[in-house]
Amino acid sequence: MQRFVTLIIMASLLAACSAQTVEPEVPALITNPGPESLQEIEQTVSIALNSTKVILAADALTKNSVLVIERGMQRSIDRTPVMGRDLGRPYRFQLIIDGSQCVLVDQQSGQHWPLATVECVKEL
Amino acid sequence: MKVEKSGFSMLSNLSIQYDSNYSRSLRQVVLKLTLLVVVGSLSGCGGGGGSAPTAFQRASNTLNDDTTVPDDVDTDVGSEVWTPGVFLDASIFDAMCAVPVAGSGDVLGTSTDENNFLRSYSNDTYLWYDEIVDMDPSLFSTPDYFDLLKTDDLTLSSNFKDNFHFTIPTDEFIALSQSGISVDYGAQFALIQSNPPRKIVVAYTDPGTPATAPGSDLARGAEILTIDGVDVVDGSDVDTLNAGLFPETAGESHTFTVRDLDSTVRTFTMQAAVITSTPVQNVKIIATASGDVGYLQFNDHIATAEGGLFNAITTLLAGLGIADFVIDIRYNGGGFLDLASEFSYMIAGAARTAGQTFEEITFNDKHPDINPITGEALIPTPFHNRSLGFDPSLAAGTVLPTLNLSRVYVLTGSNTCSASEAIINGLRGVDVEVIQIGSTTCGKPFGFFPANNCGTTYFTIQFQGINAKGFGEYPDGFSPANTVIDIGTVVPGCSVGDDFTAALGDPAEARLAAALNHRVTGTCPAASGISPTSLSKVGLLPSDKMIVPKTLWLQNRIMSN
Repeated sequence: MQRFVTLIIMASLLAACSAQTVEPEVPALITNPGPESLQEIEQTVSIALNSTKVILAADALTKNSVLVIERGMQRSIDRTPVMGRDLGRPYRFQLIIDGSQCVLVDQQSGQHWPLATVECVKEL
Repeated sequence: MKVEKSGFSMLSNLSIQYDSNYSRSLRQVVLKLTLLVVVGSLSGCGGGGGSAPTAFQRASNTLNDDTTVPDDVDTDVGSEVWTPGVFLDASIFDAMCAVPVAGSGDVLGTSTDENNFLRSYSNDTYLWYDEIVDMDPSLFSTPDYFDLLKTDDLTLSSNFKDNFHFTIPTDEFIALSQSGISVDYGAQFALIQSNPPRKIVVAYTDPGTPATAPGSDLARGAEILTIDGVDVVDGSDVDTLNAGLFPETAGESHTFTVRDLDSTVRTFTMQAAVITSTPVQNVKIIATASGDVGYLQFNDHIATAEGGLFNAITTLLAGLGIADFVIDIRYNGGGFLDLASEFSYMIAGAARTAGQTFEEITFNDKHPDINPITGEALIPTPFHNRSLGFDPSLAAGTVLPTLNLSRVYVLTGSNTCSASEAIINGLRGVDVEVIQIGSTTCGKPFGFFPANNCGTTYFTIQFQGINAKGFGEYPDGFSPANTVIDIGTVVPGCSVGDDFTAALGDPAEARLAAALNHRVTGTCPAASGISPTSLSKVGLLPSDKMIVPKTLWLQNRIMSN
């Protein structure tokens, strides 16, 4: 009996471990680029970074699953960037696919942002 | 959804300063909670008097760690008296605003609170804090007070030591874009003379943009004659000229009349679009009798430049080897310092840079070891020998290719600034011979961690970069050796003016031609590089040598009557 209980406990633990296993995230590319999906991604990045405005290329996330975001290049009177010696790094997001759900992942915070209008496929 | 308090903080971790600002915001919260307790305790003791606490009441008597309070200084709650030389912690005044920004977490305060924030922040972090004349913050508007919070000392060339003290609206500063993406035509204009008689020409273009599309076909040297019917040379409608030169929204159309280099005059309409810039262009090998010479044009230290530089050096290495290398950074105003380090490594190679510092930043003497903004230990930036993952097209950790050169030619102008100057200084720090062709650089060995407060982002110089030899004193810029006036730190080379009659990368273009000649003969043409001061003397565009006034966003409106 005691052996049986031990087996049940071990099986339960294994099941729990299995359930907690983190599947590797699958990088993805957008298959329906257009104004609607672009707007959703821009809004998502804007919310994630507490920004006022985000400009993306029309083909963002269609060629590479990683999206690199920088501060808009403010320039001084002779077009010189005001942040000429930036010690920081750009911000990175990655598009992943989870089942059929496309998700934008903030690579710094790890926060996941499911996307409603974006369709995507696994990046090869 | 992550909602973050504004004030000191902004885009949270977009770059180093955001992390630090976040921690400062946390500190602010802690301090304000502490103050609430203090105020609450005082109320409980009958000291509240029934009215809302003033800024100094909220501030209580918290002081900077390094501030000693004289016995005769009144630091009691309720004191609103400015005491020269005594500085409360800046975080106490953070986000206390005369006009709080809705939804930002700002609280109602006064302009004096805003001034006190700036006063304390400057005293703590400004590079030359001990050269600020301490003034009563209650006597000035906030913009005027910020203007006072800087040194008025001069450089050896009698220029202001601090040319980079300015503000920008925070909602503009925190605007973001995908790396290399902007709303533009894809043409950079050089305002050779910005007041009548004006002269504006195309400096360079980005491929695959409206500027280079059929119908526009803009190329370097084309002179802009009219914009939307307004005469560029003598016209008085500067708003129309500025609106045409600097479009704000994709889809805007403006009509231009231009004179091409072959003297053809033509009129066309160009539509602004979301464009992709190409920060590394014109990579080529120029065959000469004395060996192949590599050339590239490097315009911006933005993330996508990492892949561009990697590909460029790989291309240059694919041949039989180059005898010399010319890097054209005349229009490169800087950006990410780590990219300057990577590029410098790719030029100098492993042997010269192993264990060496590319650039070390130093703050004022209150912060010899710790970055006061991030709270991190000050660690020199090395010459990075692997990619850091800026550009998604280049995997982080990729081993960088190297040219292993002992000398390099750099083509410069007054727009060569900051991280671009760090390339010159960093290479000189490890004894790479840098030969400068062009005109004096902007002179910005400095940097800042912008601070947001009450809807305004403040830029005040906080650190200076020095190379492996400990050198970083070039506030007058780097100057080719035969520069005639306004000489900064002298670098071997030739003073040569910008030549808009030839394409960049054309061996006949004056600066590149001078470099190609110098490497063979060691001689220079007659000095023709225009220094920043002489630019302003002849009525040209004020350069970075001049004080950048506040409200930076207005400065993108550069035409004048």
